Amino acid sequence: MNTDTKIIGTPVPKHDAGIRVTGKAVYGHDIVLPGMLHGAILRTKYPSATFTIDVSEAKKLPGVACVITADDIDTNNISFKRDHPVIKAGEVNCIRDEIAAVAAETKEIALTALSLIKVKYKKRKGVFDPFEALKPSAPKINKFSIGNFKNKNIAGEFHYEHGNLEKQKKRSKIILTRRFSLPRMTHACMATSNITAAYSQSDGKLLLYSSTQVPFLYQRDMAHALKMNPSDIRIIQPVIGGGFGSKLDMYPFEPICALLSIKTGKPVQILYSREEEFIASPTRQPMIIDLTAGIDSKGNFTFREVNVIKDNGAYTSWGATTPFVIMQAFSSLYKIPACYFHATAVYTNNVFAGSFRGYGNPQATFALERMIDMLADEIGMGKDEIRLINANEQGEITGQGLHYQTCGHRQCLESVIKSSKTKIRTTSNERYKKGIGFASMLHVGGGAKIYRSDGCGSIVKIDPYGFCTIITGANEIGQGSETVLAMIAAEELGIALNKIKVINSDTDIKPWDVGVHASRTSFVAGNSLLGAIKKLKNKLNAKARQLMNEPSADFIYESGYLFSNQTRSKIAIDKVVREMQFTEPNELAIAFYFYEPLSEFQDKEFKGNVSGTYAFASQSIEVEVDTYTGNVRVLNVHVAQDVGKVLNPLLLEGQIHGGVLQGLGYAICEELLMNSGMILNSNFHNYKIPTASDIPEIHFTPIETNDRHGPYGAKGVGEAPLIPTAAAITNAVCNALGIELLELPITPERVLRAINGKQTSRTKKNLTVRNGK
Amino acid sequence: MNFELINPQSFKELFLVLKKLKHRKYRYAAGCTDILIELKRNPEDDLTLVNLSQINDFKFRGISQTKNSVRLGAGVTANDIVRNLNIKLLYPVLWEAAYNLASTQIRQVATIGGNICTASPSGDITCALVSLDATCVIIGVHGKREIRIRDFFEGPRQTALKKGELLYEIIIPGNKKNTVKLFSSFIKIGTRRSMECSVVSIAYHIQIDGFNKILTSGFAIGAVAPTIRFTAKACDFINRKNINALTERDAESFALKVSEYSDPISDIRATRWYREKVLFNLSKSIIEDIIKCQIEVK
Ligand SMILES: Cc1cc2nc3c(=O)[nH]c(=O)nc-3n(C[C@H](O)[C@H](O)[C@H](O)COP(=O)(O)OP(=O)(O)OC[C@H]3O[C@@H](n4cnc5c(N)ncnc54)[C@H](O)[C@@H]3O)c2cc1C
Repeated sequence: MNTDTKIIGTPVPKHDAGIRVTGKAVYGHDIVLPGMLHGAILRTKYPSATFTIDVSEAKKLPGVACVITADDIDTNNISFKRDHPVIKAGEVNCIRDEIAAVAAETKEIALTALSLIKVKYKKRKGVFDPFEALKPSAPKINKFSIGNFKNKNIAGEFHYEHGNLEKQKKRSKIILTRRFSLPRMTHACMATSNITAAYSQSDGKLLLYSSTQVPFLYQRDMAHALKMNPSDIRIIQPVIGGGFGSKLDMYPFEPICALLSIKTGKPVQILYSREEEFIASPTRQPMIIDLTAGIDSKGNFTFREVNVIKDNGAYTSWGATTPFVIMQAFSSLYKIPACYFHATAVYTNNVFAGSFRGYGNPQATFALERMIDMLADEIGMGKDEIRLINANEQGEITGQGLHYQTCGHRQCLESVIKSSKTKIRTTSNERYKKGIGFASMLHVGGGAKIYRSDGCGSIVKIDPYGFCTIITGANEIGQGSETVLAMIAAEELGIALNKIKVINSDTDIKPWDVGVHASRTSFVAGNSLLGAIKKLKNKLNAKARQLMNEPSADFIYESGYLFSNQTRSKIAIDKVVREMQFTEPNELAIAFYFYEPLSEFQDKEFKGNVSGTYAFASQSIEVEVDTYTGNVRVLNVHVAQDVGKVLNPLLLEGQIHGGVLQGLGYAICEELLMNSGMILNSNFHNYKIPTASDIPEIHFTPIETNDRHGPYGAKGVGEAPLIPTAAAITNAVCNALGIELLELPITPERVLRAINGKQTSRTKKNLTVRNGK
Repeated sequence: MNFELINPQSFKELFLVLKKLKHRKYRYAAGCTDILIELKRNPEDDLTLVNLSQINDFKFRGISQTKNSVRLGAGVTANDIVRNLNIKLLYPVLWEAAYNLASTQIRQVATIGGNICTASPSGDITCALVSLDATCVIIGVHGKREIRIRDFFEGPRQTALKKGELLYEIIIPGNKKNTVKLFSSFIKIGTRRSMECSVVSIAYHIQIDGFNKILTSGFAIGAVAPTIRFTAKACDFINRKNINALTERDAESFALKVSEYSDPISDIRATRWYREKVLFNLSKSIIEDIIKCQIEVK
């Protein structure tokens, strides 16, 4: 691996920082097309009802161009399981349900038109608890659901096991059973959901300005919904104001906007209000996790037995596949001789969950890392010690078949244990109590093979002036992939960063990529770009050899020149390009490459090496708890993360801070509250994300394991920093107070209740078994 | 949300406007940080908003000190208070309430008149003013009147203001002549540290003389009853006591007396149980903190 890099590893500021902070970035909300209409959606008033609808008055309103209901459209169902009608006909099943849509000359007219639509509802008793939904007496909630399950309200099931559970149970000195409960968290993206659709009635082509994270899957889904040819749909991504997984699925408002444009022949834009964003954008999966785990007398983990019930909501998004990741944490984080895992996604009349940074892993990590602390307490071991004994190792092939070719788990643990140990001091009998908590995480670090291809295509071009254009399949959603790709090109081609352009937002131009998720972009798109550059350099080298008359020379690319390794003589890169293009045999300085990671599909038992590499991280977090109010103040967060190799310390640190803060919100304040299918806090006043004044000190130590599969040795980093945070914070609070918290978020009230010995209702079914050995 | 907006530039103009609007529905608007949210949630038809923020009146917008009091115009913003060092010195409770309100942006426009007249049980500045036993100066088409702030609130979102009246000034009595030490602070509890609506708040202002005797004290509690309440019995309990004689038992008795004034609701922010428990704990903590100081002195 090339270790003496010039650009890679340096703190290059984000490519788009300037336009973002000066307000020059063009978000979906800024797009205005000639003759554009404004769309608005009528949603149901009740989470479960049958209805009839009359739109005649709305149609008569001056300025209204089009009103559509289910009767006016011919579409296929959308969503991961195709169980979600674009506009609902006669029946609604959650409070997000779209029952009509309007396109009008102004937003105000569109909203007035909505108020003129008459809907007669016949309310039904909804089912809002997944355990209720699983009872045989419950009504079937989603009539489009498919699959052969033992219960009509099951949307998906995952089963996994390895090792001999019974044997490991016998070996165990301590066995604990706990029920963990995880809330509905929402992404709270700065930009609300938006789309602008422009359909051309003359050639039947549909142009969409859409902030999707997965443009090619989106194109396919849109085509399926609208019964169109995918290639007749062109997707352009404007600057995206936050993704975090929320834009992995296509939602009804998107084909609705397209339909309004198709019907009117005019561009139509739909922008969500903030309230609408809270109500109608997806959430992290709420889950109940029943975990039984054991430990032997020496402190080795023996087994984990897991049963997960996920509240799917009324429809099935990609988020229903989070058990892929959840089972990975249970089967493979720390050494585990045996694991039994079962997860069930259950339909309810709640809002449907989607995918969210971490993809089930924060939930799983919360349960298993909380459990480790409880096991340590039972057996009388240090919480640092128990983790070190069981840490994953390089070369390990886990029960699930994950192959850790590099593994920084132990180094991560050692790092955070060392940095936090010196400071903590718990004083008793004081109003304010301090505590410390640890947690680790394992996540895919080299993509994840969940679609037929986990690959990415790249095209690199150098123009006659020595500028480089990268056309990549990869998507920028704010994470900084453009910057990292430009840095790679600058490193390899010796071209200055300000001469490098990245084209990445147009499906008509860019080559295939599965999308931005699974912390995969730097790894997959980086490798893809490196492949293309290598091919391009072969071409340039050949030409340079000829021009310089050095038939066996190799070249070093630096400062816009190719330097011969033999004579040290040089030639400008733009000159080589000009000579290539403008003299015979006239060739373009362009190359393309398709990179497909070495990962494999998992088999029917969910076994297999699903990612190109794996990322590890540990956090130790210090908190101070006010025992009078239950308020938790997070003081210091120590993060050590196996990133493979630091590509850009500035962007990396940004990911760490952002992730930790999202994890902090998940831990102590964020929860979309629901009662009987209605959302109670659809605003930033009552949906609480941490503010600047809640932010702790974050101390980050990168651990470089130089994975030979990653670009320069790098692994994926994006999701990891969020994953262990809530677990570590809760462990710290429990450490400070000597209490047991099993439910997130640990709001002041939940903490105070625990201090006062009042268990909350959602968590029960807790057991301790001691084998008398 | 639809309304007509009128922007009087002086009180003379304002009263002309009010006469004209006698038979119409109108509301005042100052910083608009409450009213716009309210109107968005519950739009009112045919409403006129009378904007007070362009009225050019020195007293309405300013802070002034007289021998026995400090006067704050109703148009004074939270940031005006934060910038006023005199208030920081004389009434830390008020300064802290203003300083911890919302965020820099909101503090720039939010007025004390708006905070009081919204009559929210969780109004922070209002809670501080109740603890300071302030007086409201009301003006209207029929003249001027004064009312103690603790009597100003008739229920959640209900005030003693009549049609044609508005809040003009707040008068805070000066600290006692022989006060040498203040225990004065604003405690606000919520889930996060900024942009937070109080789930429980306590404002207190305790004046102590050179012999460590409590000369007088004011306590007010917010978000735990339909209105902000002045906890007179709790004040009586500690008034005239020497702080060196206060004990842990006193702290508990004091907290029980404060709790008598609370009657909280359960809502999505917190349950009744939580509000009661925290109110008790915090009330106790105030006396405990004083006890800690007495140890420090010794
Ligand atoms: C994000 C956010 C955070 C907030 N955080 C806090 C907080 O931490 N603590 C807190 O206490 N409040 C908070 N608030 C509420 C609000 O900011 C305050 O209550 C503020 O003081 C209101 O003042 P205003 O000038 O904006 O009032 P306006 O919205 O202009 O008016 C409020 C009400 O008072 C009436 N009114 C205004 N002036 C007069 C007058 N002179 N005479 C008669 N009636 C009058 C109006 O008619 C209206 O009914 C917050 C609000 C927001 C939006």
